[in-house]
Amino acid sequence: MTNHWSDLQNTDCALIMGGNPAENHPISFRWLTKAKEKGGKIVSVDPRFTRTSSKADVYASLRSGTDIAFMGGMINYALEKNMIHKEYVAEYTNASYLVKEDYEFNDGLFSGYDKAARKYDKTKWAFETDEEGNPVKDKTLSHPRSVFQLLKKHYSRYDVDSVIAVTGTPKEDYLKVCEEFCSTGKPGKSGTIMYAMGTTQHTVGTQNVRAFGIIQLLLGNMGLPGGGINAMRGESNVQGSTDFGLLYHLLTGYVGTPTAIPEHATLDGYNKKETPAGGYWSNKPKFLVSLLKAWYGPNATKDNEFGYHFLPKGNKNYSHINLFNAMYKGELEGAFLFGTNPVVGGPNAGKEKEALSNLKWMVAVDLWETETSAFWQEEAGSDPSKIDTEVFLLPAASSYEKEGSVSNSSRWMQYRWKAIDPKGESLADLEIIHMMVKHLKALYKNESSPAAKQFNAVDWNYGGGDHPDIDLVAREINGYDLTTGQLLKTFGDLKDDGTTSSGNWIYCGFYPEEGMNRSKNRDNKDTGGGNFLNWAYAWPANRRILYNRASADPSGKPWSKDKAVIWWDGIQQKWVGNDIPDFKPTVAPADPGGTAPFIMINGGLGGLFAPTLNDGPFPEHYEPFESPVKNAFSSQEINPAIAIIEGEFNLKGDSKKYPIVGTTYRVSEHWQSGSMTRNQEWLSELAGHMYIEMSEELAKEKGIKNKDQIIVSSARGEIKAYAMVTKRFKPHMMKGKMVHQVGMPWHFGYKGYATGDTANRLTPHIGDANTTIPEYKAFLCDIRRAD
Amino acid sequence: MAEYIKYVDVTKCDGCRACMVACKNWNDLPAEPEEFQGSVQSHAKVTANTWNVLSFIEHEDSKGNLDYLFRHSSCFHCSEAACVKVCPENAMHYTDFGTVNVDSDKCVGCGYCVQNCPFDVVQLATYKDKNGKEYKKAQKCTMCVDRLEEGMQPACVTTCHTDAMEFGTKEEMLKKAEKRLSEIKDKYPNAMIYNPEGVGGTHTIYVLAEKPSVYGLPEKPKVPTSAVVWKDYAQPIGKMMLGATSMALVGAFVSNKLFNKEGKGHEEEGGGSHE
Amino acid sequence: MKKREVAAMSKTQYSGVKVKRFSKGFVIAHAVNAISFFALYITALPMYTEWFDWLYPVLGGPEGARLLHRIFAIAFIMPTFIWLIMDPKGFFRWGKELVTWKKRDLQFFTEFVKELFGFKFKHVKQTFFNAGEKINSIIQILTAILIIGSGFPMWFPDLFPKAVVQWAYVAHNVGFGLAIAVVVGHIYLSVIHKNSRPGYTGVITGEVPAEWAKDHYTEWYEEEVKKGNFPDLDKDKKKKKGA
Repeated sequence: MTNHWSDLQNTDCALIMGGNPAENHPISFRWLTKAKEKGGKIVSVDPRFTRTSSKADVYASLRSGTDIAFMGGMINYALEKNMIHKEYVAEYTNASYLVKEDYEFNDGLFSGYDKAARKYDKTKWAFETDEEGNPVKDKTLSHPRSVFQLLKKHYSRYDVDSVIAVTGTPKEDYLKVCEEFCSTGKPGKSGTIMYAMGTTQHTVGTQNVRAFGIIQLLLGNMGLPGGGINAMRGESNVQGSTDFGLLYHLLTGYVGTPTAIPEHATLDGYNKKETPAGGYWSNKPKFLVSLLKAWYGPNATKDNEFGYHFLPKGNKNYSHINLFNAMYKGELEGAFLFGTNPVVGGPNAGKEKEALSNLKWMVAVDLWETETSAFWQEEAGSDPSKIDTEVFLLPAASSYEKEGSVSNSSRWMQYRWKAIDPKGESLADLEIIHMMVKHLKALYKNESSPAAKQFNAVDWNYGGGDHPDIDLVAREINGYDLTTGQLLKTFGDLKDDGTTSSGNWIYCGFYPEEGMNRSKNRDNKDTGGGNFLNWAYAWPANRRILYNRASADPSGKPWSKDKAVIWWDGIQQKWVGNDIPDFKPTVAPADPGGTAPFIMINGGLGGLFAPTLNDGPFPEHYEPFESPVKNAFSSQEINPAIAIIEGEFNLKGDSKKYPIVGTTYRVSEHWQSGSMTRNQEWLSELAGHMYIEMSEELAKEKGIKNKDQIIVSSARGEIKAYAMVTKRFKPHMMKGKMVHQVGMPWHFGYKGYATGDTANRLTPHIGDANTTIPEYKAFLCDIRRAD
Repeated sequence: MAEYIKYVDVTKCDGCRACMVACKNWNDLPAEPEEFQGSVQSHAKVTANTWNVLSFIEHEDSKGNLDYLFRHSSCFHCSEAACVKVCPENAMHYTDFGTVNVDSDKCVGCGYCVQNCPFDVVQLATYKDKNGKEYKKAQKCTMCVDRLEEGMQPACVTTCHTDAMEFGTKEEMLKKAEKRLSEIKDKYPNAMIYNPEGVGGTHTIYVLAEKPSVYGLPEKPKVPTSAVVWKDYAQPIGKMMLGATSMALVGAFVSNKLFNKEGKGHEEEGGGSHE
Repeated sequence: MKKREVAAMSKTQYSGVKVKRFSKGFVIAHAVNAISFFALYITALPMYTEWFDWLYPVLGGPEGARLLHRIFAIAFIMPTFIWLIMDPKGFFRWGKELVTWKKRDLQFFTEFVKELFGFKFKHVKQTFFNAGEKINSIIQILTAILIIGSGFPMWFPDLFPKAVVQWAYVAHNVGFGLAIAVVVGHIYLSVIHKNSRPGYTGVITGEVPAEWAKDHYTEWYEEEVKKGNFPDLDKDKKKKKGA
């Protein structure tokens, strides 16, 4: 989230799309209810009328997988109706930049496309620069190659009628949504966009979010209270885990993982290639070196490039789908699965289960035996005599049985204390890893193989015995000034010469001095604007609203009193307000760069045009991997930049055989693959059955009654479930063609109290062009009665 | 003591069901998995071990506008409670807070309350004693009286994140309800405060977005006439009659002793034959 | 002392000649009826009034009391059938008499009140059942219907509409209230009231003193005499007097 949960109360309009917070992030409604009481509106866009929709002032349906068409139409609407925040756009975004003539867009393809490799040459989308390398601007925004004009041109194709012919949204509803949300373009108004996996789990997932970014920049909603782009994270600590390098292409603190390319062969080479000339990321070498110092300690020296060579460098895509593909092909020997249950949660779960049997060994660390750790059992439909995988199940402690921090969607790092001792032999993940590392270090001690080198180099000093001192871990994350041994107060003090360490630069400063772990802060007094600065610690620098410089106009005055966050105090000559300025506090509006709020980006201006993503500088609508219709916007059916795995591992369904759009979602009571919640009796009684939601129209067509047992099938498999026939699903009408959609929760498996068939047996092994996140949310299927 | 009530504003509820879990947690109630209901609703209605149930209603108004309504349903804690009236053991009683509770020590599990509750919220729970013998007790929402006594609020209210539920003095809550009603009348023309007079008002009051029947509630609930006839007339008269008969016979016995000492009373000729 | 005298006197009241008044079927039916009625009464008593809560432990707790109440409820339904099967003739006579009302039946009541309170009274000629017994029977039949009829919905509330169950409670209560009032009188007369006490022995043994039968049920007695079933007491008396 650029903003945070309690800031939702400040919004004039919340556009909720690709998420269902009333059901999956209920606490958001505490704050949205407050916003409503102050006259704020809620707009819900979802294929299904959800509990969120029931709380909304405006609801519009759309076919799963047509978000870019929907948002593209809204961008066009805002531009055409002149509802954008013009000064904001001109001053705070790259609308005025000129794009080089190489850039082109034709029939769904941007320039620089390599059809064989399914890849773009992104250098074809570069900005025009002057001799000094600074972008050339046209502040009038009228140059035909200005970002603004290109944007206008690109989205002029997304007129209302073309859009609703693709999304299936009733026109009246669509217009209401556009009107309501675009009204936040007025200076002094703010609108927020809240989304979750309904946005990201598509082959165009990243571009879906980009579309949100574009509209929010056009409406001047970034950096304002009650504004922003707010990703509602699906687990309590999923924010924390991505911050700490969970993603395959990122090291801790969002520093890119070095790969096996010539430029990354040395630390200098890496820094040269990956460090932008301007913006805060120009400090990347400091973050990386401090990280290496935290990991390798005295073994990271200037002479050995601070241990840069200890980092493994690969040349593959190590995403979930590709790891399982490798496993399926027998290329992986073993796997550690910490609290993950791909046999329920992975796409095309049937194939993922098969893939596991190609492992020699598997270590599962979980609270309960899951469908995954039991994949070899008869109960799972396997023949144990034919599976050679040796499976170890390590019992893990639950969050209540251990101490540590959890970072929520608001980026708040909140410390938690142990409530009860772990049951039986279960241990905290930290203890499990600690014991393992110590053991491995002992085993590798006298070896000199490449693997041994890394293990020997790791600086692992969290106290003796089997129980690490978690406070030492916390301090290491914060980082030290290695010359004095003192804790660092801010990431501004990080250096790239090996004199500082920090386990995660974005958290640097949360533990600024002895006895002051700020994630333990628990003052629930509102320090102004609903920011609660003394409750927990928000990265970076305890900042609650990112890009908050944009809440003030170029001269440093808030756009409106209601929406004041920080402002320039001419007497004190610094930025002051209700939040920590996301800006150099002493840079005056008139100073160079004084009106460039997006400090992470080179140039400091919001990227309406983003030449960095793999699939284009502007979001463009493509149909999902499996779609019931042809792409109406171009002859490119699917995202041209996605990698497609051919063959058995990823069978594709035909719309003739599987004419119905399927999607998956979650319920309040269950978490993810349900391995925790389906083992809870009180939650299992509340959501105890696997069901498929469908419209009354579809049910009638198929002769299905509510509560009937039905079979849902896709090219990957079929599952049995109860039919939930509901008025809340309506068929999508697209140019007179009726397209049906069904939806289902994906929590179920055969373990625990609440059991049911696994929805992910139906979903495909296809991922987004940038993140490879699987396309769970739009696939093709068919349904029939079970009897 | 001032009367306290639970105020439920269904228009703020988002159906998260934390109230159901909080209730089971605080009151230590077992899970009762039920069959698939055809909607996301977990239980058909409240039971002896599930004291509150969130009902989910898909409602299309006369204009065809779809709404998805939620209601936290539990005991209403009537001011004139049918269950209290019909309870033969005085197990059902009014507390100092004005709420209605079951005294489990007194309850004999007869189920009269179950049959007479106008809202169908009391049920019998079956337990086993240490010898494995089954016995029954009426169970229902207690308004967490054990929490109230400690100055805390009911568990469901405390856990409600949208403040769809509040707990406070009757006066204050009724005022809130009135205010809320005026706010939502535009959006929900059928909105109303549900605090039925037929049971003397309740200690769980609702702001409903639609008519009570849309929520499966009786439009005009009251203490069953049969319960009034039974408890206010039949039973007192019956007891009186038994008393009167007994007294008459005692009178007869005494008067026999006085006037018929010889066992004679026969005027007939053959009267002496008794001798 | 006095009591013993009275008891001694009553023993010597009758000649010792007994006549058969009740069939075996009736005796059994009456006994089952009486025992189950009291058992039902006792097993319900602690619920009816808290003065008798001490009965719960005696009856095995509320569950035990409920179980016993249901067992005796079944027993309570049986007498009609027992009598009907074992003594259909007597059963139908009873039925016939219950619907036959004459002037003498009304006269009976004025005299009955006198008898009840020990004043001087005279016997009004009665058939097998006197008017009082007929009233007793009718009320018992009505109340039994009320009690049994309402008992089913109370026992199986799930099988009946809620309103039926709710009114069943009232019916059960009213039925029981009436029944107990009548029963108390019925018992008083049979067990305590000395003029009708022989009826009590009769309903157990089936036989009653001939003189008593003649006084109380003259018409029936005389009929039986005509049929030659019973001794003609008047003849005997005349003989005695004459002797």
